[in-house]
Amino acid sequence: MTSTAIALDRVTHRYGTRPALVDLTLDIPEGEIFGLLGHNGAGKTTTVGILTTLLQASAGDAVVAGHDVRTAARDVRASLGYLPENVTFYNDLTTMENLVFFARLSGLRRPEARIGEVLEFVGFTGHDHERVGTFSKGMRQRVGLAQALLHRPAVLFLDEPTSGLDPEGVRALRELILRVNAEHGTTIFMNTHLLSEVTKTCTSIGILRSGRLVHHGTLADTVGAFPTEDALERAYFASATDAPA
Amino acid sequence: MSTAITAARHELLASVRAKAPYALVAAFLGMVAASTFIGWRTTVTVTAIYERVLADGYTTQPNPFTDVSPLYYVRNTVIYVLLIGTLMAATLGVQSALRDRKAETAALIGTRPVDARALRTGRLLGLGILLAALVAVTEVVTWVSVGLLVGGPLDAAETLRIAGFGVLTWLLLVGFAGVGMLSGRLLHRERTALLAPVVVWAVIAFVVPQLGTAARPVSLLNPVPLPAQDSGAFAWLSHALAPIAITERFKTASGALLGSPTTGSAAASALLVALFAAVALTAAILVRGTRTQGVPHE
Repeated sequence: MTSTAIALDRVTHRYGTRPALVDLTLDIPEGEIFGLLGHNGAGKTTTVGILTTLLQASAGDAVVAGHDVRTAARDVRASLGYLPENVTFYNDLTTMENLVFFARLSGLRRPEARIGEVLEFVGFTGHDHERVGTFSKGMRQRVGLAQALLHRPAVLFLDEPTSGLDPEGVRALRELILRVNAEHGTTIFMNTHLLSEVTKTCTSIGILRSGRLVHHGTLADTVGAFPTEDALERAYFASATDAPA
Repeated sequence: MSTAITAARHELLASVRAKAPYALVAAFLGMVAASTFIGWRTTVTVTAIYERVLADGYTTQPNPFTDVSPLYYVRNTVIYVLLIGTLMAATLGVQSALRDRKAETAALIGTRPVDARALRTGRLLGLGILLAALVAVTEVVTWVSVGLLVGGPLDAAETLRIAGFGVLTWLLLVGFAGVGMLSGRLLHRERTALLAPVVVWAVIAFVVPQLGTAARPVSLLNPVPLPAQDSGAFAWLSHALAPIAITERFKTASGALLGSPTTGSAAASALLVALFAAVALTAAILVRGTRTQGVPHE
């Protein structure tokens, strides 16, 4: 029996008086690649913010890898890896110096060997001693994924991971995400706008509309409900917007 | 502890890469050079005039510089530390506090299992080491410069006095670095964060002493503190505000170490400078800052 990696129970969050999330309830089993879809402002990044302990929900409970985000935030952080949408580093420092810093903050005492392994895994060897400030977006995303994987997290949060990448970059990152999941059994929670990425990567999806979860199911079920070539696109528009499906 | 050490190493590395220490070393060496030159030139000029006056038979008094400590040459350094060093230290503190926000790495740090206070302690430790190295270089240069002027190495007592002045300078600078870090953590905009310590500095260095020594405000820019008014409201204010007139306390304690005429207790003054550093550092570590994770509201 598969246990739950991420659970949200009636989570609500407001910015001032404006609700960003309303009664979000969601269970994601271990080993899933979950894609959270929604228009701009739907509440995707707020959801990731709450699950990664960067934000505190106004109400409701959330659990990541068996730890409550409110009462055991440190344990949650020890269990997760996080790749923000526009990952940035200390530009004056090299890849190795940046990764050593983040690895040590994650509790790794002598992280150099592990950094070498992870850089090899993400296909970014040979740039250890180059300053991050000189890297392209695609290169930074690889370093970003490396920093998220350093401490072998049980759950990986990716916020728009392919945003701004060229087609080669998108494909390379997609393959890495699938490998992380397949080789390490890591549960992956991914925010994205790209429906094509969801169909190629995710095993289950959720659709947010104005802070409310309007759809949650496996990719097969979702696509099965709209048996056409552009099934997911039709499912998305039917759930997430007022546009005709 | 390991978080603090990691943060301290990172602080040192990031500061060195940002080239901040080079500017500080240049500024401090410039201060020592200017101070030593002014001290030497003053001594030479006054002595030359004195000898002419003595030869003309207009005085029988001894040369005012006879038996004056050679450290008197560098007494102006006290003022440079107050006017330039403290502001540079505060700027370092602000930059340290803003580094994650500017590099947009706050979210990466915020999702790590670290204690925020340990992180801040480490950053202050890094700044403390940086400032200690800087002060040490400056004091070595001071020791060599004064030695060259007097034509031989300084004796043990004078060397200890220079070391003591270095420790006192370090305490004051670390305190202002703490003020800068606190400002960077509490204020969202960089410009405001940089301005706030300048205002604090101006109040401590000029406004507070002015309330007690307004009759002779020129003393604020001189290395030797003048006695405060000894009667009336100024006397009362002077006594009441003395503990927070940290720059005046620094001048008093430094003056005693460098052989300048001083008023008040040097030991008590040094203790108050240390207390200021302790309070500023504790506040920088313990006071909760503004939200820094930089997560967009989506």
